Amino acid sequence: MPSGSRGESKSRSTSRGDLTEVADCVWEIARSGGMRVPGRVYADEKLLPQILSDKGIEQVVNVAHLPGVVRYSLAMPDIHWGYGFPIGGVAATDPSEGGVVSPGGVGYDINCGVRLVASTMRRENIEGRIPELVNALFRDVPCGLGSSGAIGRLSQRDVRDVMADGARWAVMRGYGTETDLDHTEEDGCLSSADPSTVGKRAIERGRSQVGTLGSGNHFMELGFVDEVYDEARAAAFGLERGHVTLMIHSGSRGLGYQVCDDYLDVMQNAVPKYGIDLPDRQLACAPIESPEGKRYLSAMACAANYAWANRQVMMVLAKRSIAGVMKATEEELGLRLVYDVCHNIAKMERHRVGDREKLLCIHRKGATRAFPGDHDDVPDCYRSAGQPVLIPGDMGTHSFVSAGTHTALDETFGSCCHGAGRVMSRTKARKAARGRNLADELRRMGVYVTAKGKATLAEEMPSAYKNVSDVVDVMDRTGIARKVVRLKPLGVVKG
Amino acid sequence: MAERPHYTEIDHTADVGVELRARDLVSAFERTAACMFDLICPLDGVGSGWSRRLTVEGRPGDLEHLMIRWLSELLYTSTSEEVLLSRFKIEELNVEGRGVGGGSHIVALVHGERIDAGRHAVRVEIKAPTYHSLRVEETPEGWLVRVIFDT
Repeated sequence: MPSGSRGESKSRSTSRGDLTEVADCVWEIARSGGMRVPGRVYADEKLLPQILSDKGIEQVVNVAHLPGVVRYSLAMPDIHWGYGFPIGGVAATDPSEGGVVSPGGVGYDINCGVRLVASTMRRENIEGRIPELVNALFRDVPCGLGSSGAIGRLSQRDVRDVMADGARWAVMRGYGTETDLDHTEEDGCLSSADPSTVGKRAIERGRSQVGTLGSGNHFMELGFVDEVYDEARAAAFGLERGHVTLMIHSGSRGLGYQVCDDYLDVMQNAVPKYGIDLPDRQLACAPIESPEGKRYLSAMACAANYAWANRQVMMVLAKRSIAGVMKATEEELGLRLVYDVCHNIAKMERHRVGDREKLLCIHRKGATRAFPGDHDDVPDCYRSAGQPVLIPGDMGTHSFVSAGTHTALDETFGSCCHGAGRVMSRTKARKAARGRNLADELRRMGVYVTAKGKATLAEEMPSAYKNVSDVVDVMDRTGIARKVVRLKPLGVVKG
Repeated sequence: MAERPHYTEIDHTADVGVELRARDLVSAFERTAACMFDLICPLDGVGSGWSRRLTVEGRPGDLEHLMIRWLSELLYTSTSEEVLLSRFKIEELNVEGRGVGGGSHIVALVHGERIDAGRHAVRVEIKAPTYHSLRVEETPEGWLVRVIFDT
């Protein structure tokens, strides 16, 4: 009987002694063994012990083994133990140097991301109406395990159109405006999408989930701007102190999971075919220029586009819901999309390496793009401010909006953190929540929460996460992303 | 209602994992499936009136691959049919490459029940089983399985 233990990680454990501070809040892990580049971790003294408490750093080391990886295997300050890549991990690979693309560097929830809607409503305008608003959102945007039916079941052909056109598909059907597309990363569509690379199962799973939240850490959050750090950038983003905001966090749902699953299987054969040696089987990959790599990137783009259509439809349903409760039009309430970012993706982008500009495959696994304002991919309206970077925290404390910079382009391939980052396992969180009424506790903190599953609420409790302020401060201090405003939650819908 | 399986939950920061032991390979596969669905919704609250026979194929001699294919197939069945699975009976298991197309394979009869949001206490959505830290191993004390799931 064969005993297959090859999935057991061959990686070594890391400790504080393996990290050298090379600049303020930047820690380097020197090359050793099969590492092709060093590792770099962005963290301060406060975050470092939490970061070293799990296997996240080991995974930074593992990612440094990928063929064609350029400069560093990077970790943002919200880094924690994932599977394959760490969450908060960034890696660039060079197709001209045999660089690979790894579905594990994107994850199952392809183009999981966040969008932020601003309004001209003041906090006082919705005082006492938070439960009514949250319950309306809960009713109008399907959420929870396998949630479906937001806009009726699509045909297989419709799903192919969604995958080809992304957020535009939704706008063409009356869900939103052209301006929304301008305020979405990549205009809500990766043109490399080729629906013929997506399997039947993924398409089938995509038929009923456009416009649905899903479960786990996905949420919709009503909040308000409670602190402004940078008046000029805040004004450019249309975010004013005391004004109400809506944040939506969701991804490509079952379609994306299936694409990842299907292509991880393809990659299992590609790894021996291309003679790739990996410390963790979940990092399975293929050269970007190989048929397997090209097909994966096309299929991944399809799932990414599906996610943008999903968030676009959800936003429109949510805006209608809010307008209904407030008995006003969306225009009267000044509801407008600030920006939409993805934080689980692999994208071909041009970056400067040494004195040359190169086309690289940037894997962002729990990391957000953070481009400066003069980058071609940032819309004109944010030229002076930089690209808005949306960083949700846990549901009890705060979320942040920062702005991308040239430093990010120079140091992190234009990438930044994506959230607070977990610090407590879901199992521990459930234990810690035993016998407590988290919904009541959050209500006392001024946050009204409605969740589909009780366990979700326990697992997502505030103490399960790092302090998001610490994470955002490291990005600000290192100049990767400038802190612009802080948002305080008032009401949350959890899947 | 089905019985809940015995397993240890692995303390993973972002996701959930299980570690379990079984006396033979067939029960290792059956019990891992039961553990995965017990994480989603405790099995003592799930009926078994719905059933389906499934065939799963993997690479020859690659137990880990077969395990991931098996669990992925069950998750797909669960989401596409909107059922929670509770009982798993493997009728054929071949890992040596004598299956259809020269790969390993499993034929199994699985039972479950339609998801009822009002009655089933769904704890977590599992997106997929992962290869990270995966173990399917024969030890002196029987078979050891460890799987981390993306949730």
